[in-house]
Amino acid sequence: MPKSRRFFSAQNRREWLLPALFIAPALAVLLSLSIYPLIYSITISLQQETSSGAVWSLGNFTRLVSDNFFLTAMVHTFVYAVAALSCEFLLGLGLALLLNSRIRGRGLFRASLLVPMMLPSVVVGVVWRLMLNPDFGAINGTLRRFGLNTESLTWTASPKLAMLSVIAVDVWQWTPFVFLVLLAGLQAIPEEPYEAALIDGSSSWQTFWHVTLPLLKPSILIVLLLRTMDLLRVFDQIFILTEGGPGFATETISLYIYRTAFRFFDFGYAAAMSFVLLALTNVISAIYIKFLQAKETV
Amino acid sequence: MRLTISLTLVLLLALTACHPNPQSNRTQLTLAVVSGVEGEALKQAAHDYEAQRKYIHIEIAELPYTNLFEKELIDLKSRTGAYDLIMLDDPWFPRFASEQLLTELTPLIKRRWPLDPGEDFLDYPMALCRHPYQTGALYALPYVGNSQLFFYRKDLFEKHSLKAPKTWNDVLTAAKTIYEKESTGANGGRIYGYVMRAQQGNAAVADFMPIFWAFGGEMFDANGKPTVNSPEGIAALQFMIELGKYSPPGYVSFNASDVGAHLLQGTAAMSINWPAWISSFSDPMKSKVIGKMEFTTLPSAKRFGAAEIGNWLIAIPRDSRNAEPAIEFLLWATSASEMKRSAQRGNPPTRRSLFLDPELIAQNPAYPAQLRSLESSRPRPRTPYWNEIENAFGIFLSKANSGDLSPAEAMNQANAEIEKILQRAK
Repeated sequence: MPKSRRFFSAQNRREWLLPALFIAPALAVLLSLSIYPLIYSITISLQQETSSGAVWSLGNFTRLVSDNFFLTAMVHTFVYAVAALSCEFLLGLGLALLLNSRIRGRGLFRASLLVPMMLPSVVVGVVWRLMLNPDFGAINGTLRRFGLNTESLTWTASPKLAMLSVIAVDVWQWTPFVFLVLLAGLQAIPEEPYEAALIDGSSSWQTFWHVTLPLLKPSILIVLLLRTMDLLRVFDQIFILTEGGPGFATETISLYIYRTAFRFFDFGYAAAMSFVLLALTNVISAIYIKFLQAKETV
Repeated sequence: MRLTISLTLVLLLALTACHPNPQSNRTQLTLAVVSGVEGEALKQAAHDYEAQRKYIHIEIAELPYTNLFEKELIDLKSRTGAYDLIMLDDPWFPRFASEQLLTELTPLIKRRWPLDPGEDFLDYPMALCRHPYQTGALYALPYVGNSQLFFYRKDLFEKHSLKAPKTWNDVLTAAKTIYEKESTGANGGRIYGYVMRAQQGNAAVADFMPIFWAFGGEMFDANGKPTVNSPEGIAALQFMIELGKYSPPGYVSFNASDVGAHLLQGTAAMSINWPAWISSFSDPMKSKVIGKMEFTTLPSAKRFGAAEIGNWLIAIPRDSRNAEPAIEFLLWATSASEMKRSAQRGNPPTRRSLFLDPELIAQNPAYPAQLRSLESSRPRPRTPYWNEIENAFGIFLSKANSGDLSPAEAMNQANAEIEKILQRAK
């Protein structure tokens, strides 16, 4: 490399000026809207209000361990995420495999499957809240028409059925997304591996297990990652459907963080909880990536 | 050419910026109001005021109930001076007052008070505006005089020759009788004896407090230690669950609108509710029970029945830059003549003279019961941590009503949780 192209040279400076100018606005926005608030929330999570002003302490983090509401909300979040993710993935994969083959009217199927995903979560929440109403709702109304006794089916009002109800709503809304991504993945797989498998005389199960699934792995990784992150921070549908109730039965961590910050005005503690959630989400994402990528190279 | 155009544009921009704003010599007051009937009356009052006094311009920030608290607290704590007058739900008041976010009104009022004797305000609403409660300095004025009432279907009571609900035992007997005898209504459904809301948080606590107090329960003892798990408290919760047996299934997730719907549809016979609902019962568009609903004070048990008070107050933030014009408006809006207009627009007043006003009584036949309810009402405990305490307490009440916990377990856990909140606050 010639000497004149060293970093501080005049020519180099000219070459740098324009790109730097282009980057500057984006950088400014990032600094003011992401980096600064992030640093600020770290500082408030490490401070506690006392009568003599704010003092530095780890109190917000130690309080997490003894806070029953936080721990229960954490358990609820994981139950919700694992159950919803499993259902969505299995259903989505099944649907994708089904509609990847050439069956009649698949265009119509595909289009209608996308409707739930296009609705705002708040709308989904309100619609389902009405449908799940034990007295006037469509679900119990239909069941009654078939002669079933719906007296004990109070859905979102029952501590046993409330979690099931909110999970079902999420599955209804987000299975189409999983389906869509996996379908795109399936269609990107070339014909040749299948032909080879056919020549080798593999059964359809073996083909699925040894050809389809490994080649679909990148799409699976993306969809699992995105859904997990979304599920762990779920807020809107549950807020509309149950507000975390009955009692505490469907309170997830995001709802508890919201309440702590905006109802109790304890921003420090809410920030501490958010960081725990962030850390957990990162760890889970890292595990996914490692697990699914490692197998791909074998 | 391009240069000329840009220069002209810049000049134009500069000129408009310098042009004196025709409204700039008017004082601007910014008012934070809650959306809904309570805020609507104040909004209309503000328009009237503006029309009368050309030198005042009133800007209105209207927010739904759930956002109003957070918006006001954030703005007042960051001392932006964005608001000159704010509407406060009374349980929020201790938080604002104890953090010294409000302007003390007495010095401002003193010069003007003789024009408008303050004695006309009812005692309990006025006590809510003082910090510390009842005895301290004045930081707000009461605008909407809500307190709970007991709603019941007098036609069903007459039909089954039940006596008017004076005690909670009367209520339970009536609920049971109606539930059993009205098991097949006109549309095949039954009429439930009672309807309540036990959704965690505000709803469950509001419907429980009158039972809790009547049974002799107290949230705190004289030293401020929580005592919700007293034998009286547990008995009260036991009673609430008993009453729940005659309530529509799913009442554990009910809020005010669900309770209102059941009463308006005629599918439930009794309930605790707020005066704002009264007018709906005579509206043929909404009500199937026109002329059948009676409104009275809350039933008694060990102690005389007490309603929960829930007033809307108006205060001036400490950092308001227009405290003088703000107090002028506040005194005008809460004066007897203006509050009467607010009452005609559907808000219960906070002045005795208006509850006794024949014209208003003709319009609102429940006024005598509302006055009795207000005069025997109790406030929610005056603590800056009420939101947190109410949330925790409500969760355990809801859990007991859904059968997750026994009444004793629920009250013990609630007590421990409330104690933790108070410990942290120290």
